[in-house]
Amino acid sequence: MSEFFAMSGYGKYVWPAFAVGFGIVVLIYITAVSSLAAAKQEARRRLEMNS
Amino acid sequence: MGTWTWFHRFGSPPWVYGFAARWAPWFGGAAVTMMLIALYGGLILAPPDYQQKDAFRIVYIHAPVATMSLAVYSTLALAAAVGLIWRMKVAHAAAAACAPIGAWFTVATLVTGMLWGKPMWGAYWVWDPRLTSELVLLFLYFGYMGLRAGIEDPQKADKASAVLAIVGAVNVPIIKYSVNWWNSLHQPATTKILGDPDMDWSMVWPLLLMLAAFFLYFGWVLLIRLRAELLRRERNASWVREVVA
Repeated sequence: MSEFFAMSGYGKYVWPAFAVGFGIVVLIYITAVSSLAAAKQEARRRLEMNS
Repeated sequence: MGTWTWFHRFGSPPWVYGFAARWAPWFGGAAVTMMLIALYGGLILAPPDYQQKDAFRIVYIHAPVATMSLAVYSTLALAAAVGLIWRMKVAHAAAAACAPIGAWFTVATLVTGMLWGKPMWGAYWVWDPRLTSELVLLFLYFGYMGLRAGIEDPQKADKASAVLAIVGAVNVPIIKYSVNWWNSLHQPATTKILGDPDMDWSMVWPLLLMLAAFFLYFGWVLLIRLRAELLRRERNASWVREVVA
């Protein structure tokens, strides 16, 4: 197992690369979902103001 | 159903909103499943490279995000052109939805590339044609988003940002072919649309699967962002009242 994490001595480059890459993948998803939630909330607020 | 009927349907914000709501979970489910299989294939099943050893495994994250940074910009420019030519609001909304996704993919490309460059070239950054043109792409995304944010009138913002997006598309082939046109430290493309790849099949299949997963992932987050963009643009329309009520 430790051999797997060592990545033949390149672990300090391989794992941060995957962490950054997939971290950004998660971040893109979270920002997209929160953008949709904010847009829905804004639309509801306008609806309440106009009614 | 004819092609033009489909084209006209994609011009209807409520139809596109419903389409995006229905299809996004399917794209998401397929993307996550394929990413997990590709990760297992790339990190565990694929053998180490004879020259780069296990450092080559960075390709399984770097190549997909780099491909997406270009594919998202191409989609953005195409959508902007459709919006400009046919005055299609949905197309402008799709272009706007692409920009933050593409900018993040470009950041991921630059950082993962730096982490691969250090052990292979001995430096995190070199002013190589591929790296420099990719950095220009990030500035193009920033410019596009900044221009949209800086113009209050949405129609003027759509037009001005579309022109910038179309002009900036010239950078896409420059990035793609920079490794062929100039002397570059960056290696040439690992996989080719036509012809055999430079790697063994045991290394290639996880990469192809990861690439497909990232295209589906882009479809997923684009559909979510497109819904948000349509709600903001159409906030006074009756269909918006119906979907958020």
